[in-house]
Amino acid sequence: MNNQPGLVNISLSKTIESVLNTAIRLDEQQGQAFVALEDKVIQITLAPVQTPLYFMFTHYMVSVQNHLTGEADAVIESNLLDFMTLPMTRQLPHTLVSGEPEIANQFITALCGLDIDWEEHLSHYTGDLLAFKIGHGLRQFIQGKQASKQSLGETLKEYLQFELNTLPTQSQVNRFKAQVTETQAEVDRLAERIKAL
Amino acid sequence: MSQNKSTIDFGFAEVPLEEKVKKVKGVFDSVAGNYDIMNDVMSLGVHRIWKRHTIELSGIRPGHVVLDLAGGTGDLTKAFAKRVGKTGRVVLADINESMVRVGRDRLINEGIAGNVEYTIVNAEALAFPDNTFDVCTIAFGLRNVTNKDKAIEELYRVLKPGGQLMILEFSKVTQPLFAKFYDFYSFNILPKMGKLIANDEASYQYLAESIRMHPDQETLKQMMYDAGFDKAEYLNMSEGIVALHRGWKY
Repeated sequence: MNNQPGLVNISLSKTIESVLNTAIRLDEQQGQAFVALEDKVIQITLAPVQTPLYFMFTHYMVSVQNHLTGEADAVIESNLLDFMTLPMTRQLPHTLVSGEPEIANQFITALCGLDIDWEEHLSHYTGDLLAFKIGHGLRQFIQGKQASKQSLGETLKEYLQFELNTLPTQSQVNRFKAQVTETQAEVDRLAERIKAL
Repeated sequence: MSQNKSTIDFGFAEVPLEEKVKKVKGVFDSVAGNYDIMNDVMSLGVHRIWKRHTIELSGIRPGHVVLDLAGGTGDLTKAFAKRVGKTGRVVLADINESMVRVGRDRLINEGIAGNVEYTIVNAEALAFPDNTFDVCTIAFGLRNVTNKDKAIEELYRVLKPGGQLMILEFSKVTQPLFAKFYDFYSFNILPKMGKLIANDEASYQYLAESIRMHPDQETLKQMMYDAGFDKAEYLNMSEGIVALHRGWKY
């Protein structure tokens, strides 16, 4: 009676399936990028969730489940948070564990390439003007958030590098790397000389 | 579970063997139109979780050939058809023509076509060659079959070696206090709901009775071993209101 998916895992797979299918339906290209993956199975583990999810693509769109008979065509590891923020970041850092790299790349490219014109869909319910205002506000908010994040990162970096001297600058790192390479070469040369004695 | 007698249970009543099929047909002819709504109302929507669990555990993949026996209005068939893709096939089979019609129309309306076949079939005499299916399911159907042993033997026969049978069925509640509440609900509230929503109290009274007459978890597991399965196990859901039995043919 082991290895039964719990309610949490089932809810996760069902939620991802529903969200992804909705996204494909709203996509400008109607998920055409997934067509190449038809009848393929992608296994993806989204840390910290340990149970893998299996994505299957058919002409009816995508199905997600926790169990699979046999092996997947590509096995990928990624992060649940990265997966959830995919619509905003449009990128999914991942590692290919096994399987066909081409299929894995097609999957990631298709996922990241989903393009939804939210304003257009929203305008059906709110009218063009309100949809534009909401879209404009959201864009400004995201841009502002990104700018703040970047600015905060830069300030922190400069504080650590120049005020506290706890972090090296890029040029210091490059110089150190060059010195390590040079030392390595000298050590190798020395080892050869010792061997020749 | 010997069934070498001239009568068989139909709910709490005993009827001649040959009568049960007709009576069950009558029940499902009567409820077919409202079957999905009633399932949602009676189980408060939980039947969707039970079925999702079944789909998850099937481990189904593109290219598989699946039999959804007693497939009724096609809940499982729909999910399986999405997964097996164009290289696979799902057969929705049911003894009741009304249910198959409702299921077929519903799936076609939802755009599920091309890899689904529909057939009217008696579970005790499946019209398929040996070793045909990767996965066979029978969800909420086995308790209505006259000769359950024969039906399980037939399901074993049509499974491919390595294939899996999944029996999703009402079973015996494991928690005594909850069992009392469940009995009250089944015999007092459920038939009234049937009358209110489907205008059919008798059919829902039969459903409640047939659940109590169905073999419990351990008995059904043993029946699967008796039919030839090499491995069998079950998973209780909702305190045993429903059990998912799984059997493998090696």
